[in-house]
Amino acid sequence: MEHTSFGDQRNATFSFAEEDHTLANALRFSLNQDPQVIFCGYSIPHPTKAQVNVRVQTTDKEARVILKDACQGLMQMCQHIRGTFDKVVNDFRTKNPSGNHPSQDMDSD
Amino acid sequence: MDPPPEPVSYICGDCGMENTLKPGDVIQCRECGYRILYKKRTRRIIQYEAR
Amino acid sequence: MSDSEPEAMAEADGVPSTKLPPHLELRRTRVLCKVDAPDNTDTIQYSGAYASLGHENSLRFADFCKDFRVDITRISDDDMELDMVGVDPSIANAFRRILLAELPTMAIEKVLIANNTSVVQDEVLAHRLGLIPIKVDPRLFDYLSENDTPNEKNTIVFKLHVRCEERGQRLTVKSNELMWLPKGSEFLKTSESLTSTSKPETYTSFTCSQDSMPEFAGNPIRVYPDIIISKLGFGQEIELEAHAVKGVGKTHAKWSPVATCWYRMLPEVELMEEIEGEKADVLKQKCPAKVFEIEDLADGRKRATVARPRACTLCRECIRDGEDWEKRISLRRVKNHFIFTIESTGALPPEVLFTEAVKILEDKCERVISDLS
Repeated sequence: MEHTSFGDQRNATFSFAEEDHTLANALRFSLNQDPQVIFCGYSIPHPTKAQVNVRVQTTDKEARVILKDACQGLMQMCQHIRGTFDKVVNDFRTKNPSGNHPSQDMDSD
Repeated sequence: MDPPPEPVSYICGDCGMENTLKPGDVIQCRECGYRILYKKRTRRIIQYEAR
Repeated sequence: MSDSEPEAMAEADGVPSTKLPPHLELRRTRVLCKVDAPDNTDTIQYSGAYASLGHENSLRFADFCKDFRVDITRISDDDMELDMVGVDPSIANAFRRILLAELPTMAIEKVLIANNTSVVQDEVLAHRLGLIPIKVDPRLFDYLSENDTPNEKNTIVFKLHVRCEERGQRLTVKSNELMWLPKGSEFLKTSESLTSTSKPETYTSFTCSQDSMPEFAGNPIRVYPDIIISKLGFGQEIELEAHAVKGVGKTHAKWSPVATCWYRMLPEVELMEEIEGEKADVLKQKCPAKVFEIEDLADGRKRATVARPRACTLCRECIRDGEDWEKRISLRRVKNHFIFTIESTGALPPEVLFTEAVKILEDKCERVISDLS
């Protein structure tokens, strides 16, 4: 990852290689949720190049720190989603034991 | 790199008989004299990308 | 806009000023589907979007945890539907994109053809083989990089040898004819080193048999069984080896672990006025998704009700006949309620696919964090 910033560390562009909308759009959401972010957005300079630029401008902290927090926030969210999902799947399985699986023996021939 | 030229089998276009020809041989079926021979598929392994 | 303000939203009146006024709350949380086009489709992500109203738009983690919900409608071995409520579309879309393009599976990548006299050409045959789903957990394998030699940790070898022996018969070759070779390739390399070396070289270099690994002992690797690969006439023959490796869907769709994966936002149908009598019948008839039902009132009147809003496809058939109908019915979608469907190809069960997808997004974040530290 590349980090460009001219003098003022509050305004910076981060360039991610091998990433696309998947990460950048989720990160933009996470960054926008932070009240310390004045502006944030991302762009993909060329559609055939696996690269994305994320721009972050903040009120007073370093953009780097804010971006790190945003990643942390996103990760926390993911962990919560995963935890909730696993629990719900387990509950569903106990409530509907495997008799409810019409497709189970379909793939043996 | 390539293995030395070996006799190659051909199938006669008329009677279906199998003929083996070496470089320089006359292209003609030994059985019926028909002059159109088809090459048999090679047994050499050919590699393809499954895309 | 103001004329289609829903009753449910009006309840919010009089609550503390940190809540948005109902007409703004509606725009924030719902897509409005008008006759010509959907309206108000964007999500307001910026934390200060409503700063002038004294409303904080940022999402606190505790609030997220409180509101986030998952409901499962169905799970089978190869498909599942779940409702994911309380997330931003950017997150839901990230999961969808990861499921389609970034979750690894095993797929046939190299096909070594020794003989093929069938009518299906070699390259077409190779392509068809590539698309066959392989039922094996990809987490047990490594990626095969360009300089690696194929070994038991990164390659699965299948053999296909079929010949139509019966005169006048046509033999259908299905994917279950692909035989797993746990010891690796059986084809010998015939090139340069034929005379010198002691042991003949094959196209793979397995150090041990894959069926000696605990995961595969008594559990042979199989492919999806009833896919037609080719049809053979009398005397036609196919003899080949197929080498499967690990990969991801963005390289080639054959590595995608899902047949498809999609989400739709929860439809919301609201009647803005009572629809009674003949009009109720007309409305019920209009809807191809059978969203509306008729309710018999005590005094013998009939009234239309929204019985199955979830079935609504937003075809807008019900609001097409003039402005009257447009005013009567409000079609909306809930912006943070996703009905997610995952159709697995069989490598992993759908619920595992979803958890793996979430893990991949976490890994991405972690990588960025470690880069920034």
